[in-house]
Amino acid sequence: MNAHVAAHGCITCGDEAVAMRVLRVDDARGLALCAAPDGERSSVEIALVEPVSSGEMLLVHAGTALGRPCAEELAQ
Amino acid sequence: MRFVDEFRDAELGRAVAGEILAAVEPGRHYKIMEVCGGHTHAIYKYGVDDLLPSNVELVHGPGCPVCVIPMGRVDDGIALAHEPGVMFTCFGDMVRIPGSSRTLLDAKAEGADVRIVYSPLDALRLAKHNPDREVVFFAIGFETTAPSTALTLRRAKAENVRNFSVMCSHVTIVPPLRALLESPDLRLDGFIGPGHVATVVGARPFRFLPDQYRKPVVISGFEPLDILQSVLMVLRQLAAGRAEVENQYARVVPWEGNLRALEVMSEVFTLRPHFEWRGLGFISQSALRLSDAYAEWDAEQRFSVPGIRVADPKACQCGEVLKGVIKPWECKVFGTACTPERPIGTCMVSPEGACAAYYNYGRIARDREIA
Repeated sequence: MNAHVAAHGCITCGDEAVAMRVLRVDDARGLALCAAPDGERSSVEIALVEPVSSGEMLLVHAGTALGRPCAEELAQ
Repeated sequence: MRFVDEFRDAELGRAVAGEILAAVEPGRHYKIMEVCGGHTHAIYKYGVDDLLPSNVELVHGPGCPVCVIPMGRVDDGIALAHEPGVMFTCFGDMVRIPGSSRTLLDAKAEGADVRIVYSPLDALRLAKHNPDREVVFFAIGFETTAPSTALTLRRAKAENVRNFSVMCSHVTIVPPLRALLESPDLRLDGFIGPGHVATVVGARPFRFLPDQYRKPVVISGFEPLDILQSVLMVLRQLAAGRAEVENQYARVVPWEGNLRALEVMSEVFTLRPHFEWRGLGFISQSALRLSDAYAEWDAEQRFSVPGIRVADPKACQCGEVLKGVIKPWECKVFGTACTPERPIGTCMVSPEGACAAYYNYGRIARDREIA
């Protein structure tokens, strides 16, 4: 089986989302450069979660940030 | 890794499994459907079902977006890919989904310009870099993916990109669940709800499950401990005679969903009166098309799409697998004529498909032995 699939499941189409860290924000274009846990970087649409700051975590699906993990809920 | 390691702790997993054992009534058989293909994948990847008592059965639901695309829709995509000047873009798994006679990958081998993209935004970028080509994006997925397509279309309109269009095959999760509950084939006790769909739509749309059908539902995360805890929460509702929507995935899912995503979806999409689901047939108001405001970017209006209905192959039992009526290995062609390398049915193509999950994680021999 494909190693990426083994590690992450279907990232291209399924109900799968990846927690990514914001590296840089391009407010003018509504995009952010983000890094996946494996280090892979990609441009992410941030219109649904703006404003976004460098360093924070976003939940990304199909190139779009859908939400942000809530640290307080995580602690519970 | 933060947000992940905490939810893969084996010791905690065994503790939750102990609580599950204490929550079940001996002699009662529980059937809990995990709606989402991402859950199915995680269950077999981490062996979550091995930690459950034998009277707690996880049934796989229709939540793999690749698996529910009917053959006729793939044929439509292939026809579009062969249109002169078209660059046809889609997610990776779609290229391997069998149409009536071939896949999009076969179409590519025949000379069609079929390209894999990781997001609709990548497809729009291709359109901007290739102004002399017609770039079509084959949009699939549930409410998790639909906002991404919607935002891309809004961007295409704002930037006046005219050589970009979308063949919209987005589907919605509530109508097939309702269809399953109305089906006499299946008796379910409760549901593990799709976490990432709920990130967009919120927990509220799932209230019909307890309100109209008296079925508990727990919106769940995707790590092994998330799933175990969600099973426990469903069982505790059943033990207490409760039927409610609970949100196990509150670290990500707000009760009301992502309002901006819902707003852009309602601007860009409108419900289709009917849509054909693989194995489930036609379901009313279960899929999206582009709204009139985005008609210029609708590939089905810009090109001639055959729209021919193709019956599923007789040997393939994806329909029964998607409805949770049979286990993947009970299909006649599972692991023999149908494998991930040469799939007949969609459930064997996507890693989120129940058949591929069973096959890839070596569950075939064990389950046959037990049966």
